[in-house]
Amino acid sequence: MLVSAAGPGPALAPRAPSAALLRVRGPWCRRGGRLCSPAVCSRRGSRARRCPAMLALLLCFSPPRSSKEEEQLQPEAGSSNGQENKPSPKELEELELLNRALEKVLKVRKSILKTPLEAQGATGEKSAGEGPAPKNAEKQQVPVPVEDVPMSTKVRAVSKRPASLKKPSPYQLKAPYRTDPEVKKLQRKALSRCVSRGPRTAGKSSSKGVVCKQRRSPTRAVSASDREVCAPAEPQKAPGSSRSALNAQQSFSIEDSVGEKNSVAAGRQLLDAGKKSCGFLGESSKKENPTAEGALGRSTSPRRVTLQEKGCQLKLPLPYRKAYFRNSRAWERCRLCQTSADAAAARNRFIERIQTTFCSPRPAFSPAEVEEELKVLQDVLSLLSQYMEAEFADHPTLQREYESLLTLEGLQTTVSQCLRKLQLLQAGVEAQRRLHPDCAVDGGSCFPACVPSRGQMCDTAGMLAVPLLCYSSFQELRDLFALKLQVSMLHQEIALQKVMMAELLPVLEAWPCPEASAVQLYRAVYTQLCEGGKRFPVLMRDELAD
Amino acid sequence: MLFSIVFFFSDNQIRFVKAALWYYGYDRPELYRLPSDGSAGSRELLLAFSWLLHRISLLEQLLARNRVKTGDETSVCTCEDGLPNSLKGTTEKAPEHGLEGGVDVRYLQWLNGRLRFQWRSLHAQHEEQCKLLHKIHLFTSGSHVDQILGHFSVTETDLVRQPENYKQLLQLLESETMQLEAFLEWKQLEPVYWQWMETVLDNMAEEGNTCESQDARVEGSGLPKVASCCPWADSLTGQIDKLSRDLTTLREQLHKLTTRRKAAWCEKVKTREEELQKEGFSATARKIQESVELKLLDLTYLCAPPQKRMHGSHRLVFRNKHPASKMGFGRSVSKEPVSAVSATEVIRELQMTEASLERELKQLQEECRQRLDEVAEGLDGVICISP
Repeated sequence: MLVSAAGPGPALAPRAPSAALLRVRGPWCRRGGRLCSPAVCSRRGSRARRCPAMLALLLCFSPPRSSKEEEQLQPEAGSSNGQENKPSPKELEELELLNRALEKVLKVRKSILKTPLEAQGATGEKSAGEGPAPKNAEKQQVPVPVEDVPMSTKVRAVSKRPASLKKPSPYQLKAPYRTDPEVKKLQRKALSRCVSRGPRTAGKSSSKGVVCKQRRSPTRAVSASDREVCAPAEPQKAPGSSRSALNAQQSFSIEDSVGEKNSVAAGRQLLDAGKKSCGFLGESSKKENPTAEGALGRSTSPRRVTLQEKGCQLKLPLPYRKAYFRNSRAWERCRLCQTSADAAAARNRFIERIQTTFCSPRPAFSPAEVEEELKVLQDVLSLLSQYMEAEFADHPTLQREYESLLTLEGLQTTVSQCLRKLQLLQAGVEAQRRLHPDCAVDGGSCFPACVPSRGQMCDTAGMLAVPLLCYSSFQELRDLFALKLQVSMLHQEIALQKVMMAELLPVLEAWPCPEASAVQLYRAVYTQLCEGGKRFPVLMRDELAD
Repeated sequence: MLFSIVFFFSDNQIRFVKAALWYYGYDRPELYRLPSDGSAGSRELLLAFSWLLHRISLLEQLLARNRVKTGDETSVCTCEDGLPNSLKGTTEKAPEHGLEGGVDVRYLQWLNGRLRFQWRSLHAQHEEQCKLLHKIHLFTSGSHVDQILGHFSVTETDLVRQPENYKQLLQLLESETMQLEAFLEWKQLEPVYWQWMETVLDNMAEEGNTCESQDARVEGSGLPKVASCCPWADSLTGQIDKLSRDLTTLREQLHKLTTRRKAAWCEKVKTREEELQKEGFSATARKIQESVELKLLDLTYLCAPPQKRMHGSHRLVFRNKHPASKMGFGRSVSKEPVSAVSATEVIRELQMTEASLERELKQLQEECRQRLDEVAEGLDGVICISP
């Protein structure tokens, strides 16, 4: 991951190496490295680990009870429950193409078949509109085999869809075809790198198989990026695709012979087509049995639904629920439990007595209190600066000017108070220095950075309450995360800036006789220290003809 | 009843304990006189422990900090972000490796670019995570048995999917419940404990009286030796100095601004005095005064502790403020057994922190610029034009 820093790299390259080797003293890079790598890398590591897991949750949400059946029916699938891996970009891409082709087909069909499909398909769906679908369809020029379309007038089981919400059902291509729009967006994001690469041929050949699918299983939604769907996308490169398409057509003939069956299972077969072309027929016959029962909601057929559909009906498993209840009740009791009067009295007596044995002129501030007060003053300072900057503007009316005057005077009073407080704190620090026990430990490192203030300590009930951070919109959450990251980054930048200043400036300032190479060094250092490494000054030779 | 608890401590541990107690303001000299090999002083330790128990609400803090996390946690403070003191220490003490070949400054630039790239990808990953998190919260709304939460966290959602992976979580929850019950028992027995402590103190005082007279002759004052160096005090003095400089600068700026404004004001008012009296300006003036006091109340409130700052990790909860939502939690936060912090507040604080950090960075950069300008003057025949 060699990112060349913009600018001087190429310009310097042609020069002789010795001149270009600009000596910068010292182990700063070590220090700097220490500052940079742990923080950023650990964050990246943990983020990277969590995203795929969440993606998996959203997309392939299948509650545990159906796991056994799934195993039976899909021995090769292997992926169903333990599936945590992100589908590879390749698969996602193929899937994307598949989806687009399907939409294209649907669009054409819609114009022929019209409303019944749409009406049925749209019920019980949390739809985000047709937006994504047509958009995608435009992207590809898939020659739709129009001749197939008229044959599909036999619309099957359109009304099966609504019942499916109750029990999860397997892949369902719903008409008008649409993958979960949310899901599609996620895919698009993941595919941002390889989308443009669309192998048209693959798209074309897939459409054939796809259209067949479409005919037979019109009405169910597909949980798009599940492995089952991904897998058949794989062999859609030129050689494999025709085979899979062929298989798909074969499977249809089989289905037809059985008559009306759960088209979902059929869809599933199709989707497995790519995975193993041999044994395909065997699989379909295996499926005939369970699917012969017809309609939805049978526990034997594999289920895959998105979290979006099932989310609000989920239930935590019973042992967890019990443990959770007991736990939260215990917390509640602890929070409400008050120190009895006897205990409080006895405690206060003890504290008073022991404090009489403390060193006689007790310092005004304990070290913890000094640090606390200091933090408070720092906050006050930034608030004061903000207020002052607000008053720099000119004020039109007399009233505003008066107000501004009063504000400024108030600010002045506060500043004086703060300065007085600071003096007291300084005295406190000196007093504590005297008392400091002889511990050769790094003074600062003992003490936790995140210490609750004195005020908080008094509020013990508050400490035991459930700590929640409530956000009310996605935008807020995003801002929160972004700001936190920004603050961390700034902390790091400031630390690096200080280290670099300490290391680089002395080198330049002590430069005995500036040579030619000093100029490049100067430019580089200037950029780094004054512009954050982003912009460069222009250095011109001052050669005025005399 | 006297009993002695025998502790085996290492030297460092004892020093650490002494430093920590000093930090919180425990000024009982007998403790600091204890030998560093832990051979004596079990009762002193007991006293110190009891004092600390009260001073920092030790039990409640421990319970709160070690709370089992079943939700999507995030911290509401940025305390851990600042350069930790330990790192500061090692930075200063870093041995000066004599790098013979020197370091190419382009390596520095490359590192810098790489760092920026990593931050950018981190940003992107955060965004993605944020989006997914929100979706999970949104989609599982209404499912949680706990009405206050309302929706599942990522852990809980995964728990529904694969309960067998979370046996440890269950165990942790149960052991925490047991701890909480133990805490309740302790609350019942508290009076006994404090009475006992008093007796310990009494006993020690009696014994102390007999030997103290000897010690006093030997040691002089009861204070421990003056430490030759106190890094904490040094670092804090540095901070205080910096703050004092900033405040003084601010005061000067304010002073300049105020005098200018006052002069202008007097000019304006001089000519219109009668006019203003007619308009009843004094009444308006009083109102303005009150409003300014209100405005500055924020400041005075800040200056006067105790402050309730938010700390630690909180569980992220999505609460749609949509009026049609079933959960009408909006305002009634106080009635609930939760200390709910709203993201808006945290965002505001973060923005303030961000602004002040940016200001600090700019100051540093400005300082560099000035110093480099001086260097530039030494470079022959070169003019530097800053971007």
